[in-house]
Amino acid sequence: MTEPPVQSGSPRRAAASAVAAHPVTSAVIAILVIASIFFSLYVPLYASVTPKVGDFPFFYFYLIIYMPAVGIVLWIVITLQKRLRQPAAGADPGGPGTGEVTR
Amino acid sequence: MSHVNYVTFTIVLVLFLLVTLVGFAAARWRRTESLMNLNEWGLGGRSFGTFVAWFLLGGDLYTAYTFIAVPAAVFGAGAVTGFFAVSYTIIVFPIALIFLPRLWSIARTHDYITPADFVRGRYGSRGLSLAMAFTGILALMPYIALQLVGIQAVLTVMGVGTSSTNTYVKDLPLFIAFLILAIYTYVSGLRAPALIAFVKDFLVYVMIIVAVFYIPTRIGGWSHIFAAGQAHLKAISPVTHKPNGVFIPVTGNNQLAFSTLALGSALALMVYPHSITGVLSTKRRDIIKRNMALLPIYSVMLAFVALLGYMALADKTTVANVKKAGGNAQLSVPYLFQHMFPSWFAGVAFSAIVIGALVPAAIMAIAAANLFTRNIFKEFFKPDASPRLQTKISQWTSLVVKFGALLFAVELPRTFSINLQLLGGVWILQVFPSIVFGLFTRWFHRWALLAGWLAGMIFGTIAAYKVATPTTSHWAGSTDLEFGHTVYIGLTAIILNIVVSVILTLIFKATRVPEGADETLPHQYLAEQAEAPAPAPASASAGLGTAGTAGSADDLKTELCRTGSGCPAGPANPASGDASGAMGYAARSRSGAECLSGYRLVTSPPWHGYLGTAGRTRWRWRADMASLPCSRCRAGTCSRCTTRW
Repeated sequence: MTEPPVQSGSPRRAAASAVAAHPVTSAVIAILVIASIFFSLYVPLYASVTPKVGDFPFFYFYLIIYMPAVGIVLWIVITLQKRLRQPAAGADPGGPGTGEVTR
Repeated sequence: MSHVNYVTFTIVLVLFLLVTLVGFAAARWRRTESLMNLNEWGLGGRSFGTFVAWFLLGGDLYTAYTFIAVPAAVFGAGAVTGFFAVSYTIIVFPIALIFLPRLWSIARTHDYITPADFVRGRYGSRGLSLAMAFTGILALMPYIALQLVGIQAVLTVMGVGTSSTNTYVKDLPLFIAFLILAIYTYVSGLRAPALIAFVKDFLVYVMIIVAVFYIPTRIGGWSHIFAAGQAHLKAISPVTHKPNGVFIPVTGNNQLAFSTLALGSALALMVYPHSITGVLSTKRRDIIKRNMALLPIYSVMLAFVALLGYMALADKTTVANVKKAGGNAQLSVPYLFQHMFPSWFAGVAFSAIVIGALVPAAIMAIAAANLFTRNIFKEFFKPDASPRLQTKISQWTSLVVKFGALLFAVELPRTFSINLQLLGGVWILQVFPSIVFGLFTRWFHRWALLAGWLAGMIFGTIAAYKVATPTTSHWAGSTDLEFGHTVYIGLTAIILNIVVSVILTLIFKATRVPEGADETLPHQYLAEQAEAPAPAPASASAGLGTAGTAGSADDLKTELCRTGSGCPAGPANPASGDASGAMGYAARSRSGAECLSGYRLVTSPPWHGYLGTAGRTRWRWRADMASLPCSRCRAGTCSRCTTRW
């Protein structure tokens, strides 16, 4: 089976046409999800005391700010995913009566 | 024991009674004809919207143990073993967004109640499904026990409990609290924790906001708090002759430990059965996604909860109190609250922790009970159990599980149960490949996954057992050295698990070991609620790219039977009650068998089937086969068929 690499929550296989129809949107979704994981796991990026923000060492400040940021990023992702579902012109694989598959 | 502060105690008692009332009243909330159906009792009717689900999942994922243990770890050892939890609760949401919507869709389509149900349907393997159920229950027991440890910490600081040396008398309040919890969970099922979660979250938020703004003014501001934390962590411990902990992970090893702990725990959190129970109780696929974006708000709070550990270090009285109590860091937050807050507000804060323990404990007990009922009792002992009987069994199992956990918490030394919980994380991580990879691909072989699971379980357990510090000889932590790097054991174990699975899959495929039946269809992983009943046959085939076979009479018959509409008359259905009429969908094996009893399967050798091929099972397996995509495209154009048989 040729599964595309994990990239976004919803579109896959049955919706492969949706990914193909919106390559830019799909790529943006993949990048946003991967980035939100990566920038938290790559510790050297933020493991320092300075610059202090208020009284908070940068390490702690970064992680606290990161959370609402991830919330916003994921909100953008799910909004973009909704766009993926809109039937792209000519990408309807099953003709009439197959509205379910062509989300 | 010190004397009890009656103001604090009264407030905790009143709020506890309030929650009890809510718990019983929940049985009437969103009332349906009968609660005696696992979808109702165990999943709240799969009816929760974004708002309720946010509270439920928040209440589910952030347990009392979080409020006690995370700051305790920060208090004791700083960033790597404590503050990693913040990083972990961040990345859990993007990771979950990748696979949870698929799990929701497939579970809704096939009426799966537990993650092991999914594994059973996907791989057609009772053995693998049993392994999933077993791991789930095994990992949940110590987790529930730890909720009790959280309550115990609060009760200890409040001075509640008699001074008797008999543990059972001493922990009487704990017993009573748990008994009440057990009864209302029995009565109301998942609705009880869902409704109580509102109270819990409200109290927790009030507690944290007040703590974050009020405590720093009492103890000299944030700069003092961080300075005290840094000083403590830098100090050389007399026992280990090393610094107490890490304030900021600057060395490569600490950074690696930090991120592997975060990644491993994040992968584990969403495959815990109680998380999945919460997820499956939602009404629409969108709700899961929205909550993945909204729940990080909850995590912001967790960051401040973690910082309570430094606040406790900055407060001399708290440090002294903890030392007096035998250096039990678990008590640091309760002591901090007791010292900082006026007694009435300490009561509010303590109730937040106690109620914060009850919600996840209830959901975990329900999740464990569902696993037992669906994947052990129904699967192996009574395959034709009616929905009513299944619910009864689940109700009783939830009681047994709770009291098992209670004994666990009271009988075993506290440090032991904490370590068991660490081990629980390592264990539950081993079901990750079967469930999450299974959501995306059927490439893995069921027995390879089983072997990988076993390898991961054994390696993880032994590796965790071997971790030692100068103060503890075994189970001392959850990281160990791999090739000179400090790595979370769970992550090493899951890598081993995956490697074994991949290698064995290649071998099994080469030797054509039977792969088992797959009752799921690709488009079902994307189904919304409205389309959860399978769509019309033509569209399903088109989705598979087998347009050539679409529309034949046999296909139509298969589809009609799978959707439960228009089944031709057949032999007596052994379990007509099993067809979930509420969903308008009857694809589960035996109900499908009724329709398709005349369906002949061309290519299956006689030894195909489950691990055991005794009469009944084989029959069921054949029935499963008939409703599968392969049988539909016997013409041989479907790539699934050629790869699988």
